[in-house]
Amino acid sequence: MNYLMQSAVCLLEQAAERFKNKIVFEDKDGAISFEDLRTKSRIVGSELLEKVETGRKCPVIVYLPKSINSIISFMGSLYSASPYVPIDYAIPMARMEKTVENLRPTAIITDSEGKEKLAPLNLDTTILIFDELVNGQLNDEAVDMALDSVCDLDPAYIMYTSGSTGVPKGVTISNRAVLDYIEWIVETFPIDGNSVIGMQSAFHFDNSVFDMYTAFYTGAKTMIIPEILFMYPEKLMDYMAESRISVIFWVPTVMISVANGGVLEKPLPDLKLILFAGEVMPNTQLNIWRKYLPDCMYVNMYGPTEATDIATYYVVDREYENHETLPIGKVCANMRALILNDEDKQCKVGEQGELCISGTGIALGYWNAPEITAKAFVQNPLNTKYHDRIYRTGDLVYENEEGNIIFIGRKDSQIKLRGNRIELGDLESAAAAIENVDSACALFDADKQEIVLFIETAAEIVARKFKMELKKYVPAYMVPARIVTMEKFPHTPSGKIDRVGLRKEYIVK
Amino acid sequence: MEEIKDTLRAFIQEKFEIDDDPDFTDDVHLFNEGFVDSFGAVEIIHFIEQTYNIEITQKDITLYPMNTIEEIAEVVENKLS
Repeated sequence: MNYLMQSAVCLLEQAAERFKNKIVFEDKDGAISFEDLRTKSRIVGSELLEKVETGRKCPVIVYLPKSINSIISFMGSLYSASPYVPIDYAIPMARMEKTVENLRPTAIITDSEGKEKLAPLNLDTTILIFDELVNGQLNDEAVDMALDSVCDLDPAYIMYTSGSTGVPKGVTISNRAVLDYIEWIVETFPIDGNSVIGMQSAFHFDNSVFDMYTAFYTGAKTMIIPEILFMYPEKLMDYMAESRISVIFWVPTVMISVANGGVLEKPLPDLKLILFAGEVMPNTQLNIWRKYLPDCMYVNMYGPTEATDIATYYVVDREYENHETLPIGKVCANMRALILNDEDKQCKVGEQGELCISGTGIALGYWNAPEITAKAFVQNPLNTKYHDRIYRTGDLVYENEEGNIIFIGRKDSQIKLRGNRIELGDLESAAAAIENVDSACALFDADKQEIVLFIETAAEIVARKFKMELKKYVPAYMVPARIVTMEKFPHTPSGKIDRVGLRKEYIVK
Repeated sequence: MEEIKDTLRAFIQEKFEIDDDPDFTDDVHLFNEGFVDSFGAVEIIHFIEQTYNIEITQKDITLYPMNTIEEIAEVVENKLS
């Protein structure tokens, strides 16, 4: 096996040789070593090569509970030269159907419970049971041949995010992007073979790319924290202490709930490095962390899924007042940031504009969606010399005097809620499809951090029941906190729903 | 067991302002069905720890599901016996 790093799974190949029997992952059911992970993943890869069509255009959906088995399936897909697609085990079936329709996967790896849930959809794709795959036949020769066929610009994974018209978008990320990202991580932060990473992210969020591949690169151990513990901050802290976790990369929502829960008084002597990304981290809660854990390194990171998790970062290097804004900092190695104003000219220091990103870390595009890809991934308007692709994030920012980027907000109606990226239009189209709903309008209450859904209906609607109905179509995190019904929406003179008026009357007091 | 369930039901009904609702049974998933929000989970654990003078550890939470009145009561009863 040569070590041309053309596939993200080469990191596991290397790790298995370097770290052998050392434990790489632990979940609530057990632990696995680097070597065993490699062998089991190669078996899954062999089975895929044997049973289905594989390759860069043949993605494999992994539909399993958050566990070591998911990781074996991801790596197995890569060993068969196919990209993997992590899907939330709690996904509503209507959304699964739309995802499969867009993706056209070569296979779905799941368990018997997942298979049962999928049965009514009558999907035109092969469904494979994980337990059967992992107990299959190892064919190293076939796997090595498949690996040799991979180029680093082939897709490694596809992650689905909310799309404004109700169709999820499949962000397609190359092997090279993953390799560059992880190389930057290990060059920049103190993580080594003694580190213990406490994984919070779900696999269908790209923060999980960090938790998995950093372990391969450094020999660190990643503890897959049982999801249920995030509902109980105090117990979560007990788990952290008992597991001797030294590195975390969490969404601010979780850090906020720990800070507000008043549970940081219990000592966490092993914790050294605290990374966060996915939404704005308020200094009020960060300062609570810093008070109890003053010697930790804190890093505010920023990045859309389209930029392989992280594009910019800021190591917190001074005190911040509660009301101040934490910068999102400077770009990562091998990436470039560009702030463009409304006329597509480069913004001056202090001038507000749209953040655009280029480099090998940006996505190949949205899977099987050339039109929306062409809108978001465009030629750099400042470069006429050669093909220079940039990703327009839709995020409004400015650069301060120190050269740090400050995040302001969104250009469109996309929001971030508890780390989840939500297109309000996505929720509106789901709500409008429910019986008796004439029209729906979703607004975000930024102060309360909740979605308010307005429904135009002549019928009597029970909020709890309506929310349950919505959950059949959208993920639980998109379900609005408040529902307001009315017989007729107010309209602007041009005939559109008067969103400003609704906001004034029902949200701003 | 019945007594624990009664105590739990009364606490949850009052705390989370649940009217007499035929869907609110001992085996309904409190969180998925929207009767209790995720923040309420901590309050329920706190309540049973105080009321029965027991400690629910991180391992209990990881290993035993506590999503219904039935399931929570079972954990409490095992702790008490």
